[in-house]
Amino acid sequence: MNALSRICNATLAAAIAGAVAFGALSSGCSHPPPPPIKPWQREHLAKRAMRFDADGLESRFRQHLFGSREAGDGGYGQAGGGCGCN
Amino acid sequence: MAAAIVRPAGLPRSVGALVAAIVVATASGDAAWAEGRVTVRGAYYKEASTRVVQPMVELTKDLPGGVDVAAVYLLDAITSASIAAGVGGVDALFTEYRSEAGLAVGKTFGRSRVGLSYRYSAESDYWSHGIAASFSRRVWGDSGTIGASVGRGFDAVSARGITPGCVPRDSAGQPTGNRCFLDVYFGGVAYTQVLSPTLLLQAGYEAAYLDGFQGNLYRQVGGLGPEMVPGKRLRHAATVRGAAYVPSSSTGFQVQYRYYRDQYPDHRNDALPRDPWGIAGHMAEGRVYQTLGSHVEARLSYRLYFQSAANFWCDVRGPGGASCYGLTPRLYTSDPKLAPVDTHFAELKLTWEARGLRAAPFLRWFQAGAFEISYGRLFQSTAYGNARLLQTGYSLPI
Repeated sequence: MNALSRICNATLAAAIAGAVAFGALSSGCSHPPPPPIKPWQREHLAKRAMRFDADGLESRFRQHLFGSREAGDGGYGQAGGGCGCN
Repeated sequence: MAAAIVRPAGLPRSVGALVAAIVVATASGDAAWAEGRVTVRGAYYKEASTRVVQPMVELTKDLPGGVDVAAVYLLDAITSASIAAGVGGVDALFTEYRSEAGLAVGKTFGRSRVGLSYRYSAESDYWSHGIAASFSRRVWGDSGTIGASVGRGFDAVSARGITPGCVPRDSAGQPTGNRCFLDVYFGGVAYTQVLSPTLLLQAGYEAAYLDGFQGNLYRQVGGLGPEMVPGKRLRHAATVRGAAYVPSSSTGFQVQYRYYRDQYPDHRNDALPRDPWGIAGHMAEGRVYQTLGSHVEARLSYRLYFQSAANFWCDVRGPGGASCYGLTPRLYTSDPKLAPVDTHFAELKLTWEARGLRAAPFLRWFQAGAFEISYGRLFQSTAYGNARLLQTGYSLPI
């Protein structure tokens, strides 16, 4: 089995697992959903401190910086690289 | 590397025109449109032998019909000192530029959102196109969000005939032309759950498969010549994040952990005795947000990262030099970031909502926006040395 086949199989398995998880979450599974957060309870959730994507440009720069100084990459929700900074 | 001032790599006219069209269209100020924002930022990064100046501009806008768009442009001006570049072993400075433009469009359908994005990056010897698609859906009474994204990167590197690892080829794989390539396949999933009005968690997993030239065109390994880096790499990153807010003191907290692992897929099939990658990395970061008065917010953050070395790396800076690779090595590098690495990054950021300028002549034009400034120190165990990072920006609703 070549590398591409393994990757395809792994991707397929991940896709199936994701689809199952997505279906389960979409349908609420067999568990009762957590109490919904009312619109008037979202005041604090809108604050910068409660948002993981509040600083898009800052995150982009950090990804570029640390990606050129460390081997580890990812976790930003987008593909890294794209530069000759190896 | 030759000491030269390289002209900025120009963007294709089509990309520039597209970005310009978005800027014009979204800056027209239609009062019926929902919120948009224009942000300008500057970053200054300085370490022992490298200095980076990066201006950036981003424009986001919500359009009618649940459509949102974002456009970004940035320029990297990277100035480095290189002994090799100087005459007679004297340090010389050379500056390279990298331009990057991106465009993203999203559409919201009820509880679901789909997004498409494109990114182009150009340097004097490196060009990259990236496309991505994303999907997210709010679930469980809008308390949770499940998301998935896929992406593809098309990178091209100028093959200057000095790096054996960068073998020119055409689309059929035949050795021709003057560029070698790197193909990137990316996929990720994430789930975010609001646990209470002041507490939320997020977990995600991402994988990227890289196939092609992944080295540096100019890096030499003493006695062995240009570095040789594996051409295939499968990267995994699993991330957990949490955020909490304490209303009584207006204090917010964020924590994040990421586990990173990479591997060479099917190394035995390529006659490699063992996986040449095998890097494991851990990153943890904590942030504290504190509101100060009615207009200022301070953010104090600390980031810790450490990793193991790639299996094919050895210490060419050690007493034996490159002899640690043996007599006839296939893979070798002197890349500091493939060595054991640990870094510490501490930063303080201040954000000032400029409402206080409403009574000031002229300056009141800035009252609707927010200024920010941050200063950080990066401590690195590698040969890059320690660094300083200064960033400043202004963001204005439109």
